[in-house]
Amino acid sequence: MANTACFIIVSRNDIPIYEAEVGSAIKKEEAAQQHQFILHAALDIVEDLAWTTSAMFLKAVDKFNDLVVSVYVTAGHTRFMLLHDSRNEDGIKSFFQEVQELYIKILLNPLYLPGSRITSSHFDTKVRALARKYL
Amino acid sequence: MDPLRSYLGTLLQEEITPVIMVLSTPLVEDACQKNGLNFIELLLPFSLFNKINVPVRTANDQPYRLQMFKLRLAYASDIHLQNYEAAEEHLKKVVLDASQKTLTDLISEPPQLENLLKNSESDLCPSWIETFNKELIRTLSFSEHETFDHPVACLLVVSSKDEQPINRFVDILNTNQLPSLLSDGVMDPKVLKHYLLLHDNQDGSPEKITSILAEMRNTYGSNCKLLCINSAQSANGNGKDIQWMPYGSHVLRNDDIACFLSTDDINAVRDFMLDLSSNFVIPHVEQKIRILNQQVAATRKGFRNQIKNLWWRKGKEDTPETANGPIYTFSSIESQIRVLADYAFMLRDYELALSNYRLLSTDYKLDKAWKHYAGVQEMTGLCYFMLDQSRKDSEYCMENAFTTYLKIGSSGQRNASRCGLWWAEMLKARGQFKDAANIYFRISNEEPSLLAAVMLEQASYCYLLSSPPMLRKYGFHLVLAGNRYYMSDQRHHAIRAYRNALFVYKQNGWSYISDHVHYNVGRWYSFIGILDVAVKHMLEVLACSHQSLATQNMFLDDFFHIVQSMGKKFEVYKLRLPVINMASLKVLYEDFRTYASPSDVHVSESLWQSLEEELVPSASTGRSNWLDSQIKSSSSKRNDESPVCVAGESVVVDLEFINPLQVSISVSEISLICELLAKSKEPDTGGASHTAPEEDSELKDSPSCRDSNSDGSSFTLSKLDVVLGGGETKRIQLEVSPKIEGLLKISGVRWTLSDIVVGYQYFEFDSKNKEKKGRRARRSLSHNLSFIVIKGLPKLDACIQHLPKKVFAGDLRLLLLELHNQSEFSVKNVKMKISHPRYLIPGNMEDLKMDFPECLEKQKSSGSKETPANVMLKFKNLLFSFPDDATIQGGTNLTWPLWFHAGCSGRISLYISIYYEVASCSSDMKYRILRMHHDLEVLPSLDVSFQISPCASSLEEYFVRMDILNRTKSETFSLNQLSCVGNLWEILALPESLSIHPVQTLLAGQALSCFFKLKDCRKVINTEGELTLQGSDVLMISHGCKEAMIDVSRSPLAEFHQHERFHQGKSAKGDSSIVDFILISKMQGGNGPVFEPGMQPKLLSYHSCHCSISSRCPLSWQMNGPRMINHDFSSSFCEAIFHLRIHSCSDAAVIIRLTTYDTLPEKNQSSDGVKLSDSAENEGGWHDISLVNDMKVLSSIPGNRPKKSSVDTLSPFVWCATSSTKLKLEPLCTTEISLKICLFAPGTYDLSNYELHWEAKPLEEGIADVWSSGSAHGHPFHLTVLHAPR
Repeated sequence: MANTACFIIVSRNDIPIYEAEVGSAIKKEEAAQQHQFILHAALDIVEDLAWTTSAMFLKAVDKFNDLVVSVYVTAGHTRFMLLHDSRNEDGIKSFFQEVQELYIKILLNPLYLPGSRITSSHFDTKVRALARKYL
Repeated sequence: MDPLRSYLGTLLQEEITPVIMVLSTPLVEDACQKNGLNFIELLLPFSLFNKINVPVRTANDQPYRLQMFKLRLAYASDIHLQNYEAAEEHLKKVVLDASQKTLTDLISEPPQLENLLKNSESDLCPSWIETFNKELIRTLSFSEHETFDHPVACLLVVSSKDEQPINRFVDILNTNQLPSLLSDGVMDPKVLKHYLLLHDNQDGSPEKITSILAEMRNTYGSNCKLLCINSAQSANGNGKDIQWMPYGSHVLRNDDIACFLSTDDINAVRDFMLDLSSNFVIPHVEQKIRILNQQVAATRKGFRNQIKNLWWRKGKEDTPETANGPIYTFSSIESQIRVLADYAFMLRDYELALSNYRLLSTDYKLDKAWKHYAGVQEMTGLCYFMLDQSRKDSEYCMENAFTTYLKIGSSGQRNASRCGLWWAEMLKARGQFKDAANIYFRISNEEPSLLAAVMLEQASYCYLLSSPPMLRKYGFHLVLAGNRYYMSDQRHHAIRAYRNALFVYKQNGWSYISDHVHYNVGRWYSFIGILDVAVKHMLEVLACSHQSLATQNMFLDDFFHIVQSMGKKFEVYKLRLPVINMASLKVLYEDFRTYASPSDVHVSESLWQSLEEELVPSASTGRSNWLDSQIKSSSSKRNDESPVCVAGESVVVDLEFINPLQVSISVSEISLICELLAKSKEPDTGGASHTAPEEDSELKDSPSCRDSNSDGSSFTLSKLDVVLGGGETKRIQLEVSPKIEGLLKISGVRWTLSDIVVGYQYFEFDSKNKEKKGRRARRSLSHNLSFIVIKGLPKLDACIQHLPKKVFAGDLRLLLLELHNQSEFSVKNVKMKISHPRYLIPGNMEDLKMDFPECLEKQKSSGSKETPANVMLKFKNLLFSFPDDATIQGGTNLTWPLWFHAGCSGRISLYISIYYEVASCSSDMKYRILRMHHDLEVLPSLDVSFQISPCASSLEEYFVRMDILNRTKSETFSLNQLSCVGNLWEILALPESLSIHPVQTLLAGQALSCFFKLKDCRKVINTEGELTLQGSDVLMISHGCKEAMIDVSRSPLAEFHQHERFHQGKSAKGDSSIVDFILISKMQGGNGPVFEPGMQPKLLSYHSCHCSISSRCPLSWQMNGPRMINHDFSSSFCEAIFHLRIHSCSDAAVIIRLTTYDTLPEKNQSSDGVKLSDSAENEGGWHDISLVNDMKVLSSIPGNRPKKSSVDTLSPFVWCATSSTKLKLEPLCTTEISLKICLFAPGTYDLSNYELHWEAKPLEEGIADVWSSGSAHGHPFHLTVLHAPR
């Protein structure tokens, strides 16, 4: 499992709708904002890259010092962004794919308004389980 | 884009130019100081030539003209590499200077995206950053691995005042500390020398000077010049338009500068510089290039030389690697190539420069002279750029140089930065902004925080310039830069960086980011003392529910600290702490509807209105048809545009305050913001429309200034203090009570957070369907929040004393309704209506005089029998009018008894409306209504059920089985009395069981069955048809106690019984075969914690109505006859006569047919038996013990079982006489049929094989369907016949 990993889902309106620190490192107060900063800045790169490829998994799009941002863009232009320090590309890809399945289930919920914050605790535990499995 | 015209192009053309070393005497400097300048500063403005137009030839004799040219001047003492610390200091000063200028910007509004993108490229980046870059590059001047900073010529200046000026020239050359570059041998000491004699015109005539000049020319040749300054007699402004001050000198005496320079002087200086550069420096450099080129060509060009060079260098491979590589003296071929290349670069012969740099780079590489190598690579890259040749090559070279500089460690670090700056500029010139930003970022990684900050800031501007603009990267890098600025104590710059980034992070869900930015900006503003802006930013982070507890505490503490240091109460519009849930806004006010307690208001209006239908005067509710109602509603809508409230009575605004933090906060002085226009000042409708926009603007003001305008005497506001715990939500009720008539407007709410910050918020009315109580028509809230205040009116307060929240079912109590008139007016015509008369009925005034429950006991002289009539009357009409004389004077009380009886278990809401009229008839309101509402929980106590079955022994008597189950958890009840209501029935204890039930108390969970006898007293048909409630009672407790009987026919019990009857069964018609029972019990002091002391129920009554006789047959019959016969069967068979008495319980005439038969049809018997046992089995403790079983033991003959007796097909007896009789029975009559049987053998016989069929003729349609027709099998009747021989 990666030391630092911050997973975030950004809606098509560039608003984070789900955030999770899934790394094994002890969470620090400053880390949260730093991770947000890096991921937020990486959105610019994703914006450029997303339209150049047909693949959903964009691999590592940006890096800041030793932290790498991997991104997966769904068809609805929801972006799954993972900030990590490990280099396990296959694992990350599988992680993203499984998270997308979970995300689709969330979308299928008629009470869920697309683009709103995901508050389902079930989703949260599943994502964390996936992170332990793949990252 | 032409690289020469790009920023980097001009930069290189300005920075990589020939350097002139200046050596001057102190007197020269003195002369110059009169103008506030030193000698170099005097010359500096004229060292840049935009159109020098000097013809030059390349090494290959290609002629071209130089246009722009610049000379760099430097004192010999300055020609050395600055040490690291000095350079740092210098750069810091640059940044600090810039920060002084930014101070004014910081107070203005932060930039917005639109404005930012409109700015041109040059405006975007603050100008001081360019200066900073230049200064950064200059700190690296005169390094030994590069030669373009090495002086090309030397300018020796001697003043005319100097003694022996000729000798001074030699002296300064010798005595002055020559730069180490020259002495170390890195540089050729034989530089071109130029001699200048400086004359100060204030010192005298120039006659003497010409002689000196002539002498100089004789000694030093033609390179001698004379320069006269300070010709102006007094200070004039000739030199004002020339920019004297280059960056770096911090003398700010602008008025003194150049004051003694006349126009001639300035022109002389200009001419001197032009002459120096075009006639001496450029030709010298050109010549040098030629010579060097020839040398290089001789030694290095050509195949042979290359081989030789390679071989020669291979041999040197073993030499140990020093940090900077080998030292190359000026005479070495490498140095010469470098000089050649640099000179070529200076004279814009980039082709030549490039070829030499490339030649050189391989050499240095082989020598592992990394710093030299990097320097050459750097220049190669720049040459490529200037030639606009392959981009890839230039980038490769720059990359190479950058990494090589970094590789050699700290000594090359700054060089790497310079290289990076050039590289980034190169990329920017080509439009590759994103790459440029990357370079800046790479530089920032290697540099200390201040430099890193500047680099990051430049990186951010690159992101903004890239297309499309990468705003998020821009913001991120600005924040990084700001952070570094802060680390290096540059707070102004830090703030500037952060606030420039603010718009990127505005209003999105990236909560941590915006918190970080706002918090830091706020904090830093507070450091530099701009507190108002600091507070503005701090306000943004207050509602940080996602942060940890520690962070929330820190945010709050800092915020309070800043506000406190402002030293005044701070008022904030829409303070985000606590959060006010505007959707929860409810306005409670009382017009003609008043409420006993605030909770009563939440009952829906329609419920009240249906309750009050008969209560209020019909004018408001009467509608003749739908058309009428529509007109009425529209007209009324216009009339009361605003709701009405009464002066002196408060309007309550109900609001939810939410604390989003984990920290608990104290909120004090919560009050409404109101405005009251007195009636006299109230403008007419035309004026009102005019004032409307004015009010809007007024809303933007802070409320404090408005408070001062309106005198506080016209209304009073309630002030509340609360402490909201972490994550807590509290509903807060705010009151305003107007004192005078007029128009009251409630516009907002204000509060004080932690006694420091005052927050206020106006109610905004965007949604029209806000919940609003006390008003039927829903319309925009803006209207609803302004009230018409009318004159003071009487108001009743009411409370019901001793009304418990929890009661046991059956509880009977006397309660007191207390009406209090607060005002000084009196009210009259008081009426009351209660929603649930089953639970609550008004009593009589007499009830107050007696104690409860003794008042219910049977009086010896129960003379007054008029009460039942009253009961029936009241039951019809739920409206209760207080006696006419019950006017309540102002300030007095009225107490009225109420009877409460908990009918059935469950939750119940009681609604009470009290109507009253204003005695002194005021114009505005005729009447008012007081509404009360109470919620009760009725707990189950005793379950009572009755079963009545016909008694076999007597036709007029019935068995009553009473099953009681105590369903409480811990209470004990004693059973006192069972009463049967009405005079048609009489309840009696069973004769043998005067103490039938062994226990007088019923413990929790216990069940009990008791038996009673019920006697039918309906001998005479009650023609009146009116039910009287006298009844008969059985006292259940032992006679030892002196408990008195409770009179169930008296007022409260009888009335409640009527309501119970009404609720328990639909058919309240007096069906005479239906019995009502009332069980009265007392609580025997259980130990349950249900009741607080004093609230123990004293008496419980259970009403069980419509108990019918549990038989399906309207008839009861009885066989009468001998039970035992002694007969001598030897003589004859035996005959016996029986009488069957049949009694009809039905109200209708019944036609009866009696059929006897000798064999019993099996079907009939079984079905009848099952039916009877079915109903019996469900009750506990009750078993249908058939007499048959007992008989079995007694009897040896199984004759009672027809199935078994069917062995012999004939029964041992036969019915004689009639086998079928048919007769008509009038209602409630008894008749007798005689029957006869013949017996042939002794034994015991069951004479039950007859059937009764009946058919009722109903009196009316629709009742007693069950009994209309049917048949019943006969009761067992055992006859024992003994053989008695005579």
